Amino acid sequence: MGPGTVFSSWWHAAFLARRPSISLGLFRLAVAFTVGAHMIPSLFQMADNYLATAFKTKNLWFFPVPILRLVDASPDGVVWAFVWLFGLSLAAFTIGWYSQASGILMTLSCYYFYALNNYHIGTLSFDILLVTLFLMCVTNYPGDFLSVDSLRRGKSAPHKRLRPFFVQRLLQLQLACTFWCTALSKVTAGGNWLTDNPYYYLMRYPAIGVVRDFPLRAWLGQHPSLCYSLGLSLILFEFALPFLLFIPATRPCALVLGIAFQVMLWLTLHVPTIFLFLFPPLMLLFVAPERLVAWIERRQEANAARGRALLLYDGQCGFCLESVKRLRIVDLFGWLDPLDFHAQPDLARLHPALTPERCRSEMMLLEPTGRLSGGFDAFARLTRKLPLLMGLAPAVHLPGAAWIGRRVYRWVARNRLLLHRNPACASNQCGLAETGNGSP
Amino acid sequence: MGWSIRTAYVTGQSSRCQLRRAVGIIIDSMNRRRRRLISCFVAVWLALFTYETLRASYLSPLVLRLRSARAPSDVEGLAGRPLPKLPLLFPPAGWIMFFHIDKAYGFAEVYGLRRGVEPALLDPHDIFATKAVGYDNIHRNVLVGVLDRSDAPAFCRYLKRKFPAYDEFAVVYAQYPDVVETPDRILRQIAYRCQ
Repeated sequence: MGPGTVFSSWWHAAFLARRPSISLGLFRLAVAFTVGAHMIPSLFQMADNYLATAFKTKNLWFFPVPILRLVDASPDGVVWAFVWLFGLSLAAFTIGWYSQASGILMTLSCYYFYALNNYHIGTLSFDILLVTLFLMCVTNYPGDFLSVDSLRRGKSAPHKRLRPFFVQRLLQLQLACTFWCTALSKVTAGGNWLTDNPYYYLMRYPAIGVVRDFPLRAWLGQHPSLCYSLGLSLILFEFALPFLLFIPATRPCALVLGIAFQVMLWLTLHVPTIFLFLFPPLMLLFVAPERLVAWIERRQEANAARGRALLLYDGQCGFCLESVKRLRIVDLFGWLDPLDFHAQPDLARLHPALTPERCRSEMMLLEPTGRLSGGFDAFARLTRKLPLLMGLAPAVHLPGAAWIGRRVYRWVARNRLLLHRNPACASNQCGLAETGNGSP
Repeated sequence: MGWSIRTAYVTGQSSRCQLRRAVGIIIDSMNRRRRRLISCFVAVWLALFTYETLRASYLSPLVLRLRSARAPSDVEGLAGRPLPKLPLLFPPAGWIMFFHIDKAYGFAEVYGLRRGVEPALLDPHDIFATKAVGYDNIHRNVLVGVLDRSDAPAFCRYLKRKFPAYDEFAVVYAQYPDVVETPDRILRQIAYRCQ
């Protein structure tokens, strides 16, 4: 095998191989959270930060002057429009609704506010975040999992969707490079961690400085040689971590150490949001996505062995079929076993309270424990049991939510033909709903 | 490809097989094109990433050294220019978190002045009230950014709006010259006044 072939196969394995995109779906949430945590506080002080009354500074290193002039000329109305654009695109990106488009809009709004005033949000960390955002917008892979996009697509098992691995690999390289080059700059190119004792100086900084008032700080401030050793250890760790993350045998240990390192940084220093919210998830991108898929499948098998909950639905109703299809996508761990009640001749054998009329009027959920619920109450139970619906659980369990929810459910059940856009409906007897008995 | 599909359609002989083969060829060609596109993107990204990682701290000084060695008299001209930065992406100076920490610690203070009253040190949290999640921007020395004299008119306008009770303001550069040897010694110098 020649060097060209070796390189080609290495390149393919590193960037082009199709692997599950589940990690990017999860990472999308971390990115959205980090962007929100970084940007939203600055939007609460619009007069101080972005409107005509604000004190603004510009990042001439990052932005070309014409862009800065253009942005600076924007009246307050445009600024407010970007606030809305940012809020909506962040929300859409978080739930994975048109993930790529919403990601691009969110990134553009971040750029706009950064160009408008870099005083509060503009840090080195924000530059790193923008690099991450750019990679997250290059493809729509981050919307494959845990997203409205996956529900819209309607394909089962979105966690197993295979995609070229390059986005995840480039994010891994970004993190590795951040650590490695930070260590390198500490010992070369103006860094003074070998020739001086910066960690010791940090411990001696005044209260207004970047170091938090943590318990051992005063003691460390009395031990310069220990601080020097700690500083060197940190540099060695930063040099070693990227390699430890890429080597499968050392990866678990490196992940634990890397995340602990970030937490330690955050506990001892006033480091920006990104250190706590973005770097640990970036490290988790080193976990092979196949391992996540295998873990999900093990959970599915365990649920199958324990006995699944039965979801009885009307298989002659297109709306119900579509809803069940989406529930299957949301049911990540295979807790549910959807069953067309028409295919079950003896419903009473499953549960004495089950009748064809009841099953036709609302979906019924029969849990392995024997607990039976129907309609909105069944949905409320699902938000407790299906991990991907758990975000809705607080809302559906609010006081009064059940009262409203049951009425909305009944309305949907009665009018499901109006909501239903499945062309197959014409032939699948969903006209039964017109009798008033059918429901999703 | 089109020929294969048409032939399969017209002749009807083992059409399913031919159609499958034609579709396979189309998909294969699309995949090849996609792989090529991805490879190009990755190569360009890695090149830019490496360039921006090394540019400020390593490449620019190296190029400057080489240029000045070649044309020692033109250091202020073309030879003195650093390498260009890619706009809109990547940190301006590479990945340099906490790379140089000095014994000295400089910071900014803002005093509110009223006639006949002692100058009052303004709490920096009142000057910039934006609260970041999980850390305090004031502790990251965000206020030091107002010391630049070119920003003085804008900052003075800002202070007058935020603190109308004061007649004037003094923006002061303060410095601990040595946090180890003289941890309590602070040097202060007025950077500018807002009148």
